[in-house]
Amino acid sequence: MGFSARDALSEFWTSRTSKMGVALIVILFGISAYVLVSYPLNFGTQYWNKPQHWADYPKGVPPSWTQTFSSVRKPEHMILTTDVSEKRTRGIMTIDFNINFDLRADIFPQFTSFSLSDLTFYDTPPIIHLTLTKPDGSKIEDLLVESVPYPPSGQEPPYVKYVESPLRVYMPGSPAVRNAIAGYLRTEFGSTLTPLEIRNMGLEQFLFGSPDEEGEFTNIVEGTYNLEVQVEIFHEDDTVGSVKFVVGGQVYGFMGTDTLGRDLAVGLLFGFPVALFIGFITSTLTTIVGSVLGITSGYMGGRVDELIQRVCDVLNTLPQLPILIFLVFILGQNIWNIIVVLVFFGWSGLTILIRSMVLQAKQEQFIEASIASGASSRWIMARHIFPQVAPFIFTQMIFFTPGAILAEAALSFLGLGDPTLPTWGQILERGFQTGAIFLGYWWWIIPPGLLIVVTSLCFVFIAQGLEPVVNPRLRRMR
Amino acid sequence: MMVLKIRDLYLYYQTLRGEVKAVDGVSLDIEPGEALGLVGESGCGKTSMSLGITRLLPKNVETYKGSIELEGVELMTLTNEQYRNDVNWQKISMVFQGAMNSLNPVLKVGPQVAEPLVIHREMKEEQAKVEVLEIFDKVGLPPETYDRYAHELSGGMKQRVVVAMALILNPPFVILDEPTSALDVSIQAQTMNLLKRLKKERDIAMIFITHDIALSSDISDKMAVMYGGHIVEMGSAEQVILSPKHPYTEKLLASTPRLRSYSQPDFIPGAPPDLVNPPTGCNFHPRCHMVMDICRERDPPTCYPEEGQRVECWLYGDKNE
Amino acid sequence: MRLGRSLLIKALSLLMVVVVTLLLMNVILGATGFSDRMLGALVNEQVRVYRQGLLGTIANPDEITRIVAEHEETLRRAYGLDQPWVMRLPQMIWRVMTFDLGEAKSSQTFTGSTLIKDLIAERLPKTVLLITTSVALSAFLGITIGTKIATKPGSRLDRFFSNYSAFSYAIPTWWTGLVFIMVFAVFLRVLPAGGMYSSPPPTESIARFLDLLLHAILPISTLVLALSGAWIYMTRTMVLNTAQQDFVNVARAKGLPENLVMRRYIVRVAAPPILTNVILGLAGSIGGAILTETVFGWPGMGLLYWNAIVTADEGLIIALTFIFTLIYVIARMILEVLYVILDPRVEY
Repeated sequence: MGFSARDALSEFWTSRTSKMGVALIVILFGISAYVLVSYPLNFGTQYWNKPQHWADYPKGVPPSWTQTFSSVRKPEHMILTTDVSEKRTRGIMTIDFNINFDLRADIFPQFTSFSLSDLTFYDTPPIIHLTLTKPDGSKIEDLLVESVPYPPSGQEPPYVKYVESPLRVYMPGSPAVRNAIAGYLRTEFGSTLTPLEIRNMGLEQFLFGSPDEEGEFTNIVEGTYNLEVQVEIFHEDDTVGSVKFVVGGQVYGFMGTDTLGRDLAVGLLFGFPVALFIGFITSTLTTIVGSVLGITSGYMGGRVDELIQRVCDVLNTLPQLPILIFLVFILGQNIWNIIVVLVFFGWSGLTILIRSMVLQAKQEQFIEASIASGASSRWIMARHIFPQVAPFIFTQMIFFTPGAILAEAALSFLGLGDPTLPTWGQILERGFQTGAIFLGYWWWIIPPGLLIVVTSLCFVFIAQGLEPVVNPRLRRMR
Repeated sequence: MMVLKIRDLYLYYQTLRGEVKAVDGVSLDIEPGEALGLVGESGCGKTSMSLGITRLLPKNVETYKGSIELEGVELMTLTNEQYRNDVNWQKISMVFQGAMNSLNPVLKVGPQVAEPLVIHREMKEEQAKVEVLEIFDKVGLPPETYDRYAHELSGGMKQRVVVAMALILNPPFVILDEPTSALDVSIQAQTMNLLKRLKKERDIAMIFITHDIALSSDISDKMAVMYGGHIVEMGSAEQVILSPKHPYTEKLLASTPRLRSYSQPDFIPGAPPDLVNPPTGCNFHPRCHMVMDICRERDPPTCYPEEGQRVECWLYGDKNE
Repeated sequence: MRLGRSLLIKALSLLMVVVVTLLLMNVILGATGFSDRMLGALVNEQVRVYRQGLLGTIANPDEITRIVAEHEETLRRAYGLDQPWVMRLPQMIWRVMTFDLGEAKSSQTFTGSTLIKDLIAERLPKTVLLITTSVALSAFLGITIGTKIATKPGSRLDRFFSNYSAFSYAIPTWWTGLVFIMVFAVFLRVLPAGGMYSSPPPTESIARFLDLLLHAILPISTLVLALSGAWIYMTRTMVLNTAQQDFVNVARAKGLPENLVMRRYIVRVAAPPILTNVILGLAGSIGGAILTETVFGWPGMGLLYWNAIVTADEGLIIALTFIFTLIYVIARMILEVLYVILDPRVEY
């Protein structure tokens, strides 16, 4: 062949794009390895697709670092938990928790929620009281009064609840909270707002704001807030594990959140190994099928060749995406179907190319010599033909990979992706369907696309770098 | 008057490896109706000569200087535009190496032969067709050939078309670069006969480029042997074939198999010179069987051992200069 | 006449492909039990309506059950559900080939018809408008820019466009569409975010045309961005390869002006392989059109396809897959004819 592996490597390495491609691929693999190690494989079904898991995340907010470019201060997302409690008896028995937090911002938080975990009680179910004290001293007493429901009949004490899933109150959705606020507003400010109006205007301005001259609650009270949690218990042995108060931020995390509150950084991370997996498996399978059929077709000729060529012709005469859509729709939306369907469409192009290369190679003298010396067809195909086309096959495999990734992304975007796996295309599909574009949620739309582009580019770079190795005409003269 | 007078023609290319001295100071004369056979191994610069004369220069030409006089007109002072309009094909036409690929595959061959008439003489196509059919007849092609495509013609017929195309404007001078090397022997013979006949009928001067010295002797009046960008020997065909002066010419002749000889053909040891770093002194000295010390040190002078024969070799020059 | 015959053969083989595809599609539908379920659901729906109707007229519940069961039997026989799906094949194929495509579940034409046939007739011209404009524009860009940069390989322009081509392969078109909408429609507010006309559309014809133009800019740009990258590079490669051929040197030696050499000896000769690549890229254009229409809400067949997926309207999906295949085959045929005209070396 006249071109050793070492020469090949040094030729490949000369190009700047090759180096970039290799660097990128190392990074991609690194991130994927990290993800596979730190996240469960069923992350999709277990966490991503379960809205309850994301309940306490802010919805549709940009990443935290956008703060540095903005003059408007947005509140950060705060998850405040404590398990430190005091049991007190002053007429009634209570377990008291105290939560202090700082709020300094120009915009109100998105929501608030309260959760309680690990409750054990022996008699009457406890009643939870919340009191919020603002930095300016204004106090909302009994902001929330929530009774733990009675245990179903037939159960015996001790009653253990809220271990697996906590008792959660989403404050904006609680009528009791709205009423409490209406009462607070009436007493403190003489306001006549009804709970319904409060709901429509949004609770947070009343929880965290103070009225201006016109009575509008536009100013945020900045400073240290105190939330007092008193769990009224009716048996001295009752215990409470921990409580949590969430102040929904207007920014979150590295990549922001979607409208379900899902941390996009996590979803995007999980997309790395999935994309690489799809890309590699599809291109490997396509290459194997395509080259085996190509070599066989080119070398064996005759009826086998005819048949394979006819099939390739038919496949080439089909419009790819509509048929892909049809097949995935009928066969079911799971990742293996998608891979099979992509391979089904991919191999014919490679087969035709390899076939013509094999036809040329077949003319070479040494093939005749091999046949004359009695070598079997399989031997010749494996030992003589294959090494000649191998470099080209390898390059094609690299080149197919981004094609597979892009095809899967397109299918996912149309809503035909595997719903159990969060891929970049799926994230974009959600963004599109929920109208995130029209809301200007760029952090949802731009990063997944960019990741697809960068991943595809790295393979394109490597394939470009390999081209001179495979195609001698393009080699730089030394 | 000479048809072609070339003096000190230099053509150097710039490549990644360095400057290639393809034509390194070449001079020659051609009389009207005279065929000059330019002979040499691959890579000696013969094709570059033809490119230099027709000014079909590639993009990486570094040096292009000298004097080319065609029918008394100095060509080097012409602009490219003038060259294209007045010289190309009208005064000098070419038959390229590999007639197989000289014709546009998607157009009929007839109009391609007519094209120079349409472009340079501003004829209408119907008029031009008449002339094309005439010349087809002269080269022995049936008139139906006009409407054929290149892939429908045999090798020999394609060759004739290409020759017809070269002669359509009746230029005084034609360059033929290996016109027969891609053909099988019988077609080769046919083509040579055609060329000889046309040469006689139309009094065309030509440069016939080939690596095959025996073939050259068939048609050439004068012969020039080229080596490493230099013309190392030039004389009448008889002089060069029967009394070669340069050691290289001797070896070339000796390596040609003879029909009625029992001796083994000779071969020339070594490889053609690297035109980026040619050897010091005489280009041929590493392979010369008559090499002397001075050959390695100084470029050989141009010597005239016989009337009408010239050679660049220390064997014939004054050694003490 | 040889030309005519070879074209006929080509046309027939393309038609064969359509038929085979249809056959295979129906086989898949049958073998996976899909068509049974689909037809079953159809029957159930009709039975339900029938039963509703009966409830008003007949009092006896047993009587109702009997009549409904009878009706169901009749329906099942009519739809061929009483036989294995293999028997239904010929009838299905015949129905599709004669464009008896049934009804859509949840889409309607402007005039209120739910017949798939009408839906397709209404949407098809819009898709054709989008695709042909984009393809024509991309081809134009491909040829002009491709030939221009091929004359100076290695120049800055050449390197820029070669990189552009590599990049555009890696970028998902539909994503650029999304970004365009965000930038131009949401943030800058200079272009509409989707659709083909404003609502309500202007009535005066020039204003109407301008409105169409405004709405078409982003979708067409998105598609052109996707297609032109590959075509520019491909044209460049073909032209470079052709420019090295001997007959180009001959043309120059003949003293022909450079632009004639370019037109007649380079571009004209490179045209057939370029056209081949265009043919190969056509499938991609259809896929690209579907995605682009979805992103921009362009009311063509692509958007219909997407609606069908979202509403899981099997009948519509099957019909559209067939129609798209048909369109593709017809477009192929047109281009194949063009190819034969361009390249006299072609033989069958």
